[in-house]
Amino acid sequence: MKNGLLAASRVFSAISTAALWLAGVGLVAMTSLVAYQVFMRYVINSSPSWTEAASIQIMSWFIFLGAAVGVREKFHMGFDVLLYALPDSARPWLRSVSDVAMFGFGFGMVWFGGELAIRGASVRIPVLGMPQTITYLPIVVSGALICLFVLERMTLRLAGEPVDTETTERAISEV
Amino acid sequence: QTVLRSSDTHPDGYPTVEAVKRFGELLSDKTDGRYSVEVFHSAQLGQEADTIEQTQFGVIDLNRISIGAFGTQVPAATVTQLPYIFRSTEHFHNVLDGPIGDEILAAFEAVDVIALAYYDGGARSFYNSQKPINTLADMEGMKFRVMGSDVFVDMVAALGGNATPMPYGEVYSGIQTGVIDGAENNYPSFDTAGHAEVAQYYSLNEHLMVPEVLVVSKIVWDGMTPEDQAAMREAAKESVTYQRELWAAKEVESKAAVEALGVTINEVDKAPFIEAMKPVYEKYVTDPMLQDLVARIQATEG
Amino acid sequence: MEYWVLFGVFGGLMFVGTPIAFCLGIASLATIIYLGRPPVVVFQQLNSGVSAFTLMAIPFFIFAGDLMMRGGIAARIIAFAGSIIGHVRGGLGQVNIVASTLFGGISGSAVAEAAAVGGIMIPQMKARGYGADYAVNVTSMSALIALLLPPSHNMIIYSLSGGGRISIADLFTAGIIPGLLLALVLMITAYIVARRRGYPTEPFPGFARAAQFFVISIPGLMLIAIIFGGVRSGIFTATESSCIAVIYAFLVTLLVYRSMDWSNFVHCVIGAVRTTAMVLFIIGAAASFGWLMAYMRVAPMLTEMVTQLTSDPLMVLLLINVLLLLLGTFMDMGPLIIITTPIFLPMVSSFGVDPVHFGVIMILNLGIGLNTPPLGPVQFVAAAVGKISIWAAMRSVWPFYIAGIIVLGLVTYIPALSLWLPSLFR
Ligand code: NA
Ligand code: NA
Repeated sequence: MKNGLLAASRVFSAISTAALWLAGVGLVAMTSLVAYQVFMRYVINSSPSWTEAASIQIMSWFIFLGAAVGVREKFHMGFDVLLYALPDSARPWLRSVSDVAMFGFGFGMVWFGGELAIRGASVRIPVLGMPQTITYLPIVVSGALICLFVLERMTLRLAGEPVDTETTERAISEV
Repeated sequence: QTVLRSSDTHPDGYPTVEAVKRFGELLSDKTDGRYSVEVFHSAQLGQEADTIEQTQFGVIDLNRISIGAFGTQVPAATVTQLPYIFRSTEHFHNVLDGPIGDEILAAFEAVDVIALAYYDGGARSFYNSQKPINTLADMEGMKFRVMGSDVFVDMVAALGGNATPMPYGEVYSGIQTGVIDGAENNYPSFDTAGHAEVAQYYSLNEHLMVPEVLVVSKIVWDGMTPEDQAAMREAAKESVTYQRELWAAKEVESKAAVEALGVTINEVDKAPFIEAMKPVYEKYVTDPMLQDLVARIQATEG
Repeated sequence: MEYWVLFGVFGGLMFVGTPIAFCLGIASLATIIYLGRPPVVVFQQLNSGVSAFTLMAIPFFIFAGDLMMRGGIAARIIAFAGSIIGHVRGGLGQVNIVASTLFGGISGSAVAEAAAVGGIMIPQMKARGYGADYAVNVTSMSALIALLLPPSHNMIIYSLSGGGRISIADLFTAGIIPGLLLALVLMITAYIVARRRGYPTEPFPGFARAAQFFVISIPGLMLIAIIFGGVRSGIFTATESSCIAVIYAFLVTLLVYRSMDWSNFVHCVIGAVRTTAMVLFIIGAAASFGWLMAYMRVAPMLTEMVTQLTSDPLMVLLLINVLLLLLGTFMDMGPLIIITTPIFLPMVSSFGVDPVHFGVIMILNLGIGLNTPPLGPVQFVAAAVGKISIWAAMRSVWPFYIAGIIVLGLVTYIPALSLWLPSLFR
C-alpha cells in the first residue's frame, strides 16, 4: 500500500517536472516571439499580425501550467499567521481545509473551463484563425493537474506521511 | 420587478450608454415596472468579447456592442464590417432600418442572443502624426494600429499601409514615440482617447461604418411573456431615434474639440480607396448568401 | 448578504492559510453560485485576466532581473559605486544606496535587489566593522528604490488593475523623482547614523581606478539607456522593452561577461516561471474577484461611505495611506495592488487625484510594507543574508523607516514630484 503510494508520487513528480519544463520552454518561446515582432516592425517594416495573439496564448499556457506545479511545490503565497499562532497539531487540519478548497477550484477549472472550451469550438480567434477552444484548454489542463496534486497530498497525509511538516523554502517574491 | 444588467465599454454619458438608459426607462413604462435596466458602463464587466460570452451564458442580460466584436460568429453580420459597404450615413440608415437590417438582426438568434436594434457608431477614418492622407500613395509604408481582425489587417495591406498589432492602451504613447504612425477611429473615440494630442492629421477616408447593436440574452428572452418581448423590441426601436440625435451632436462636439487641439482635417477622394477594396471583397465574400446580401445592400438607395 | 459571501469566504480561507489566488477564486465561485448566475464567468475572467499583452512585462522583467543577478551585472555595478562614493563617512552604506539606485534603474524587483546588492555588500560591511543590523537596514530600505525607478512591473500591475488606461510610460517617468528623492533621504539618514556610530570611510581609489570600474560596468548600465532610448525613440513600446531587457541581459552575460552557462540559464528560466506563474495566477483570480465587485457595485458604495466621512482629498489620501500601510504589513505588494486599486482608484479620482500620482503613492506605500513583518520579504532576504534575526533588524530600523515615511508624505502631498516629469513629455 505504502509502496504503491510512493510509486504514484514519483509519477506525479515526473508530471510536475515535465509541466515546469514545458512552461520554461513557453517563456523562452514568448521572448523570441516578441523580439521577432520588434525586429520585423522596426527593421523589416512589415509587422506580422499574429505574434501578439500567439504570444498571449503561450503566456496563458505557461502561467496555468506553472500554477498547477505551484500547488505541488507549494510556492503559492498565503497568509500563514494562524499556522504560527496555533499548536503544530492544528497544521494538518488547516492544510486540509485549504486542500479541499483548492480541489474545489481545480474541479471548477475543469468543469466550467470545459464548458467555455466547448462553446469556443464554433468561434475563431481573430487573426490566428484557430478555434477559441484552445484559449480555454490551459485552464482545463491546469485544473486537472491541481486536482491530481491535491489528491496526492491528501492521500499521503491520511497515510501518515509528513506532507505538512517539511519546511520547503517558499518562493520569496514581493512581485 | 426584474433588474436587467447591461454592459457597455464606453464611458458614462456616451450616446450608446445614454440610449440604453433611455431604453430602460421606456421598457419600465411599457411593462408597468416589471423590467428595469442597470447599465454597467466603461467595460466594468469586461471587454466586448468577454461580455458577448457572458450574454450567451446568461451571466448578464443585455449588451450594447459593436457588431465587429462578434467576429465571424454571425456570418450575415460580417458584411456590415466590410470596408466601404455603406456609401453614406443615409445609406447606412436605409439599409439597417429596412428588411436587410431585420434579416441581419434575426441571424443573431443562432448564437443565443436576440438582437434588438442598431445604434450609430459613425464613420471611422485614419489619423496619423506624419501627414494628411489624400491618395493611396500617402498610405504607402505607414504603420497603423488596427483592431485584431483579419478584414482590417487585409484592408490596411490593400491600401498600401502596414497593419501593426498593439494593445489599445499603448496607442497613445506608440504614436507619440513613433512606434506606429497612427490608427483609425471615429471622431468621438479619436477625441476621448486623447490621440488627437499626438496625431495631428485626421483624413476623412471613412473606410468603415460599423453598426452598434443592442442584444439581450436568449435565456432572458425565453423567460419573458410575448407581451413583454414586444414591449422590449418597441422600447429598443424607440431608443434608436434618441441615440442618433445624441450621436450626431457628439460628432459635432468631438470634431470641434479635436480642431481646438490643432488637428488638420482633410477630405479624401474615396474612389481609389473603394477600388482598392476589390481583393478584400473577393477574399471574404465567397459564400453565395453573402454575395447576395452584399448585392442587395449595394442596390439599396441612399 | 452576497457581500458577506464574497468577503467572508475570502477572509476565512485567507485566515486558515489558503494560497491567496485560491482565496480569491473560491470566494468568487461561492458568490456567483449564491447569486444564481452561471459560474463560467469566474473562469472566463481567470483566463482573460492573464490574457493581456501588457502583462508580458512581468515575466520579462522578472526573467531579466534573474539573468542580471546570476550573470554578474549587479556585482560590477557595486564595484563602480564603491569607487565613487566609498570615501564618505560610513562609506559602504553610501555605496550600498548608490548601487541600489543604479541597479534599481535596470531591475524592478526589490527582492532581487536586496539579494543582489545585499549579498555582496553586507558581508563586506560586516568585515569592515559596520553593525550587521545597519548593513541589513540600509540594504532593505534602499532596495525599495527599484520599485520607483523604471522599469517597475508593479507599475504595470497598477496600470492594468486600474483598467489599463493609465499610461505605463507616464507611470515609469513619474517614479523617477520620488525614487531619487528616496535615495537622497536614505543617504542623509545613513550618513547621520554612521557618524553617531563612528563608522569608517574607504580610501578613494583615484580617478583612474574609478574610471576603470565605470568602464567595466558600462555594459550593464547601458540597459538603462537602451530601455529609455528605445521607448522614447519609438523603436519599441514600454511592454516590448521588457523583452529587449531579457535579450540584452542574456547577450551581455553570455558574450561580454561570459558568466552565463546552460545551468545558470536553466535556473533563471525555471525561477522566472515559478515567480511569474504565482503572480499571474493571483492576477487572474483577482480579475474574477474584481468582476464580482463590479457586478455588486462595491466601489461606488465604499466611495459613498467615505464621502460621508470626509470630503477633503488630503484626508482621503491620509486615510488610504494609513490603510495601505496596515494592509501592507500583512500582505504582499502585487496582490494588494490588484485587490485595492479597483476600490481606491475610483474613490481618489472622484476627489480629483491624478491616477498616475496615486500609482506612485501606492507603490511607495506598499514598498514600505515589504520591510514590515509578519510578511516582509525584502527584510527577510536582507536579514538572511546578514545572518541576523528579523527582530535584531527591526530594533534599529526606525531612522530608515522614518526616512521612508517622510518621503511618502512628500510624495503624497506634493503631486508635482510625480507629475512634473511626465508633463514634460506631453
Ligand atoms: Na526599477
Ligand atoms: Na509586510
